[in-house]
Amino acid sequence: MPATTPAIRRPRVSASARREWLTGYLFVLPAALIIAVFGIFPIGYAIYMSLHRWRIRKGAFVGLDNYLSVVGDWWGALAFFGGLLLIIAAHWLWVDAFRRDDGTVALAGRLLGALVLLGSGVAVSLGWRLMTAEGDRRFLQGLTRTVYYGFGSVPVQIVLALVIATLLFQKLRGQELFRMLYFLPYVTPAVAAAAVFRNIFSPRPERPANTVLEWLGLPTQQWLFETRPVSQVLFGGLLDRLGIELSGFWAGPSLALVTVIVFGVWTYTGYNAVIFLAGLGNIPKQLYEAAAIDGATRVQQFRHITVPLLSPVTFYLTVLGFIGTFQAFTHIYVMRAPNTRDAVDTASIVIFDTFYGRNNFSLAAAQSVILFAIILILTLLQNRLFGRRVFSD
Amino acid sequence: MTEPAAVRRQAPAEPVRAKAAAAREPYEFRLAHLPAYLALVVGAVVSMSPFLYMVSTSLMTLGETINRRLLPATPQWVNYRTAWSEADFALYFRNSVIITALVIVGVLVTCTLAGYAFARIRFPGRETIFLVLLATLMIPGTVTFLPNFLMVRGEVIPWGSWLNTLPALTVPFMSTAFVIFLFRQFFLGIPHELYDAARIDGAGHLRFLTAVVVPMSKPVIMTATLLTFVSSWNEFLWPLLVTTTPKWRPLGVGLYTFISEAGPQTHLLMAGAVITVLPVLLVYFLTQKQFTEGIATSGLKG
Repeated sequence: MPATTPAIRRPRVSASARREWLTGYLFVLPAALIIAVFGIFPIGYAIYMSLHRWRIRKGAFVGLDNYLSVVGDWWGALAFFGGLLLIIAAHWLWVDAFRRDDGTVALAGRLLGALVLLGSGVAVSLGWRLMTAEGDRRFLQGLTRTVYYGFGSVPVQIVLALVIATLLFQKLRGQELFRMLYFLPYVTPAVAAAAVFRNIFSPRPERPANTVLEWLGLPTQQWLFETRPVSQVLFGGLLDRLGIELSGFWAGPSLALVTVIVFGVWTYTGYNAVIFLAGLGNIPKQLYEAAAIDGATRVQQFRHITVPLLSPVTFYLTVLGFIGTFQAFTHIYVMRAPNTRDAVDTASIVIFDTFYGRNNFSLAAAQSVILFAIILILTLLQNRLFGRRVFSD
Repeated sequence: MTEPAAVRRQAPAEPVRAKAAAAREPYEFRLAHLPAYLALVVGAVVSMSPFLYMVSTSLMTLGETINRRLLPATPQWVNYRTAWSEADFALYFRNSVIITALVIVGVLVTCTLAGYAFARIRFPGRETIFLVLLATLMIPGTVTFLPNFLMVRGEVIPWGSWLNTLPALTVPFMSTAFVIFLFRQFFLGIPHELYDAARIDGAGHLRFLTAVVVPMSKPVIMTATLLTFVSSWNEFLWPLLVTTTPKWRPLGVGLYTFISEAGPQTHLLMAGAVITVLPVLLVYFLTQKQFTEGIATSGLKG
């Protein structure tokens, strides 16, 4: 027997068991090797890179300097990330911590949870203000755009998907055909779809989006080339007349980013609808029958049976959608117009650009580690909040 | 983490199937269904419109693309020939086919072996290794692409530069934790008695796996193949980084470089887009049900 197995230390294990072990390790080896080299090792190496000065070639060890130049202010970053983690703590206090207690103690626990949630909100916004004052503006703005992208696309696609799924669930003829058509955008190669969207939402007057606007008697738009925020594009004249000036976060995303959001909705609505359909199939029919006997209308049934029983699926899709927006890359990269500067550059695009366009490898590594931390917190949040309840059956 | 992410992703598989079976009850048209149909048709037209625009424009002349035509006067099939031969889409297509085929074979081999070991062979550290591999599902490509790029350039491990070679485009994708997980779940359902019987006949794990388990596992192999096909065909960021010449450039990257080179030649660009999309849609239409279920459960596009 070769000395590669740990069996050496335990002489009592029989030869056949050792052969079994060796077979197991050999079977796992090819897959584990590939995943370890290209999936796990890179994380460690990204951290290693982020601790050096690294522009194309490796330079001196600089400690946490790259991180500092991204977050700007340590206390700000601490408040921001601490605030995010506090949300999890607040949820724990609200739901789990005092589950065994009754009456006043449980109420106090819930109040404490609410207080912590409030505190986390304050910490996040305060931390953000400190960070944006000194930090890497491109990256932080990229994060803001990612949040716009998430809040702009995820709720819309979920509501649309729920409507589609509910309609499809009524045993209509052609259900399979509709399901197939709605799912199609999700499997379409993103490069090709984004190339098509680039043409549809081109600033040229003869392209489809502008043709439709003209047909409706509305002014044509710059779409993907429009860097002004939508509030300005839509209500610019009105806001000027009222003397309101929206700036920063509250001015909203640029029209170019809204076009990217439209793409996101187009891609994921069908996917969400398919998952919702599965969830609808899980709701026992007897509930509806009982409700109908009690005289509940269809709307009441939807409101009091369908929506609450689907809520785990909704939560699942929401968090999955937000994690997706933090990772979104291909369609944004293809749709971004060269002369819009960085109107649609979400966090992952900024990272790629720091590396590919500016050749600042170490800064890109630091940015990617920070993005990873955010995605990790979101994933933990998902596990914490919905992990046990979603599909627990 | 109490439960690996993939375990939850897997969960909706059953209801999708159950739903499809329930839909085959006799249909009875009611007037009340009319608004629902209307809404569904409108939604379907909106969601199909980019495809219609793509196909229609790909058959136009250059003049028609700038004159707001909805449809070409006579379909210009020649656009496809031009895109295919002059814009190098033939080469990109060939590359995509080779890359995807190699990745599929690699994934099937490595993940069947690993999935089987995690389901059936006892060895120390089995659960730990499995969980560590599963945890990689949470890692975004944005974190790994940079170190991986340096790695294939031979700057981390001195194995020389792989840029513009086939291994750079295929090897990193030849195993994924999700497919291992799929196989493991399926293999766990195969009765132990079968292995005991095979054992008495003198078969080891490898013989049992290839002669008994694999022939029984057609559905899961099909799902894994479809999943890998789509994700490999649609891959963009990585091939963009590691192909600086057209030699091994796949369709997606080829289409992207064509966008900047094509300028106003929208009709050719759209023909290229159709060439890129067509194989995926074809496979989708042919294997519709397995496809939707397999991909819906995997959360393919992060």
